[in-house]
Amino acid sequence: MTTTVQSQAPTPAPVRSRLSGLRRYLSPEYLPIAGTILTLILMLVIGEVRYGGERGFVSPKLFSNLLQDNAYLLVLAVGMTFVIITGGIDLSVGAVVALVGLVIATLLPMGVPLPLVLIIGVLIGTTFGFLIGVLVEYFDIQPFIASLAAMFLARGLCNVVSVQSLAIKDEGFGALAGWSLKFGEGRDIWKINLSMIIAVLVLIVAYVILHHTRFGRTVYGVGVGDGGNAVQLMGLKAGRTRLWVYVISGTCAGVAGILFAFYTKSGFNLTGIGMELDAIAAVVIGGTLLAGGGGFVLGTGVGVLVYGLIQVLIAREGLDSWWTKVFIGVVLLVFVVLQRAIAVRRRS
Amino acid sequence: MTTPDTQAATPVVEMRGITITFPGVKALDGVDLRLFPGEVHSLMGENGAGKSTLIKALTGVYQIDGGTMTVDGVEHRFSGPDEAQNAGISTVYQEVNLCANLSVAENVMLGHEPRTGPFISWRKMRRQAAENLARLHVDIDPASRLSAHSIAVQQLCAIARATVRDAKVLILDEPTSSLQKAEVDELFQVIRELRDAGVAILFVSHFLDQVYEISDRLTILRNGRLVGEHLAAELPRRDLIGLMIGREGAALDAIERGAQQAFAGEREGVTPTIEAVGLGRHGRIEPFDLAVQPGEIVGLAGLLGSGRTEAVRLLCGADRPEEGTLRLGGEDIRISDPLVGLRNGIAFSSEDRKREGIIGDLTVRENIALAVQTVRGVWRPVPRKELDELVDRYITALDIRPANPNQLVKNLSGGNQQKVLLARWLATAPKLLILDEPTRGIDIGAKTDIQKLVAELAADGMSVVFISSEFEEVLRVSHRIDVLRDRRIVESLTNGPDVDQDTILEAIATKEVA
Ligand SMILES: Nc1ncnc2c1ncn2[C@@H]1O[C@H](COP(=O)(O)OP(=O)(O)OP(=O)(O)O)[C@@H](O)[C@H]1O
Ligand SMILES: [Mg+2]
Repeated sequence: MTTTVQSQAPTPAPVRSRLSGLRRYLSPEYLPIAGTILTLILMLVIGEVRYGGERGFVSPKLFSNLLQDNAYLLVLAVGMTFVIITGGIDLSVGAVVALVGLVIATLLPMGVPLPLVLIIGVLIGTTFGFLIGVLVEYFDIQPFIASLAAMFLARGLCNVVSVQSLAIKDEGFGALAGWSLKFGEGRDIWKINLSMIIAVLVLIVAYVILHHTRFGRTVYGVGVGDGGNAVQLMGLKAGRTRLWVYVISGTCAGVAGILFAFYTKSGFNLTGIGMELDAIAAVVIGGTLLAGGGGFVLGTGVGVLVYGLIQVLIAREGLDSWWTKVFIGVVLLVFVVLQRAIAVRRRS
Repeated sequence: MTTPDTQAATPVVEMRGITITFPGVKALDGVDLRLFPGEVHSLMGENGAGKSTLIKALTGVYQIDGGTMTVDGVEHRFSGPDEAQNAGISTVYQEVNLCANLSVAENVMLGHEPRTGPFISWRKMRRQAAENLARLHVDIDPASRLSAHSIAVQQLCAIARATVRDAKVLILDEPTSSLQKAEVDELFQVIRELRDAGVAILFVSHFLDQVYEISDRLTILRNGRLVGEHLAAELPRRDLIGLMIGREGAALDAIERGAQQAFAGEREGVTPTIEAVGLGRHGRIEPFDLAVQPGEIVGLAGLLGSGRTEAVRLLCGADRPEEGTLRLGGEDIRISDPLVGLRNGIAFSSEDRKREGIIGDLTVRENIALAVQTVRGVWRPVPRKELDELVDRYITALDIRPANPNQLVKNLSGGNQQKVLLARWLATAPKLLILDEPTRGIDIGAKTDIQKLVAELAADGMSVVFISSEFEEVLRVSHRIDVLRDRRIVESLTNGPDVDQDTILEAIATKEVA
């Protein structure tokens, strides 16, 4: 094999391909999130047309209420986003929310100081996340199975704590839950409570972690679909990352448990059934690929808004609340099909 | 076994008696390897000889069952690639092992990215990535996704990644398998600079020219055993091949000479198997005409990014053309996806075997059966006996090792995975066979066998489109060579004794793009 190329060999053009700034944002990876935003706008328009009247439908109050009612879901969905980007799933979060609520409702009357109770609440979530992470990473158990087991465990523990609804009457807790700031009047009112602040903080921190730290980028790398092989050969910590995303999701579930308790001021062993699916739906509607490897946590924020807005529209329409599930299902289906179509297109 | 003395230097890396056993295979059996600072050391051996395994043993991907490894005179056993990297050993593994869903900049820089506190400095990171790529003369947008680029560019990204950090040892496992002369030259320039700066370099390639051009020292493996360590200057090429394959005489001659070049006569009035008229897709490939007659092998030659892959992807339905017509056996046809192509007798073997080709978690048999089964449809399974015969035939014909149809493909060596992929498409007995870099990572002996096989198939009436970044190989197998430049077919050469690499290069250099 003699490969002698004489000096007359043409100098090859340097390997070149550059997208302008705008073109890059039109690339397929941004399509799902564009779809999410479009859906949100579409629903706002529908709301305005149908119920706007002279008082209008879209108002600061609408968004304020949406955030307030769905703060716990936002926190859950943010945690879930980490897991789904790695190609995993966490089914335990709804049960963890119920368990945390019950534990709070049990510990407070026993005289345990409020800060300690809240910390315990968060740590319950962290522990469940850690458990799932260890099962997935070190025992090589599928995330679906591992988190399903954790779900049953958490739900079982709920029943051990109490099978009745426990009201939370603690004053300090009530004060935290009831605290709020109000800006504006009437329809222009913008209320801020603790749940909203926490939820938005969680969202911002998650955004910074996912997009601006090595850990966050590794989360995306793990989701590429070769079991973290490439990430590992790149000298990054694939295993530890996979463990951590479940810890994050669990911790978020702990926080969400507290927010949900703020919201309902009670603990009940049957709360949060199917809540994990709502969180997953919000994540997928928010443009994160269920197959892993791609997504935006800010999209998850929009996904939660879409979810909340569907509920509002159903209520305004005077339909039974189970219609929400039907519509969520339809929207979800559309988005999953959209993802699939994009994946197919990208391959060609 | 000769063990030449070195000029009193002490090795940075010394591996002694390395043994690794996989279930059913002794992949390495008492292998020694020494790497000296300021030297390029090539690891030689056939497909499956154990080269990649030895590298992975050193960097801690595999744990060794026996032997010792010292780095800088201290005994070491790395628990994983990150530890090896921290100890100053940078590695480019054989398959492009990067994250396709991340940006080029991240793939090059992640793990040693510039940060302020815990946060990535994106701007700085993109700039540094661009600088590192520029050393290899790659000018791509560091913010673009890795998956948007060809395998060759991805390979360059992997190399750029390995040269970001100042390493004591740089390991390159078949870094040039998708590259062409010009890129290889850039790479060798970088390697020489690093070598002169005192870095120890371990190089693996099946291209003997490259090996002799760059190496100071050679270690040869065969079937997981050490054959010997030699200075490159003291080991003639023929002897090296003899040591690698463990054969002598006539067998060597055949390999050195390569397959006989076959030239076809003129063919008039024959309906082409496939005919593209003005077929094109915006931004990928300019409209082109291409006709392949039964029994004809058409080679596509061109530099990196010239549109070879893009052109054939339109032929087989992997990409949809935006203009032009495609005729199959004289009749217009629209091929909306590769499955339709396959049903119409068009088989396409992709250059990206990892993502578009083999399925690692399936066995060799299942991988080979895949396309045959697809053609027949789910409801008509291939009878087991027929399938076994088919699989056995191609395992023998392509010399897939280990010759075990039940082995999981991910456990095969890189070259043998490539052979499995080829077997899959050959097994469908297509009318038109499109081969995009079919001999990528395949050793010198097997390469000759494959070229011969392709020539035989064509002689039996199959039409073949053959892409290779190695011009020499294109020249050897093709009857006609279409030369591409800047995403356009610029010349169609009829192969003959007076056509050589210079003819192709001239065509690329002089044909002005209108
Ligand atoms: N994970 C594994 N499990 C079982 N067998 C394996 C595994 N990895 C490698 N092998 C076997 O070990 C042998 C050596 O493979 P290796 O990849 O080191 O070859 P190589 O010299 O790099 O070949 P190539 O030139 O094709 O890349 C092969 O027979 C292969 O089938
Ligand atoms: Mg190898």
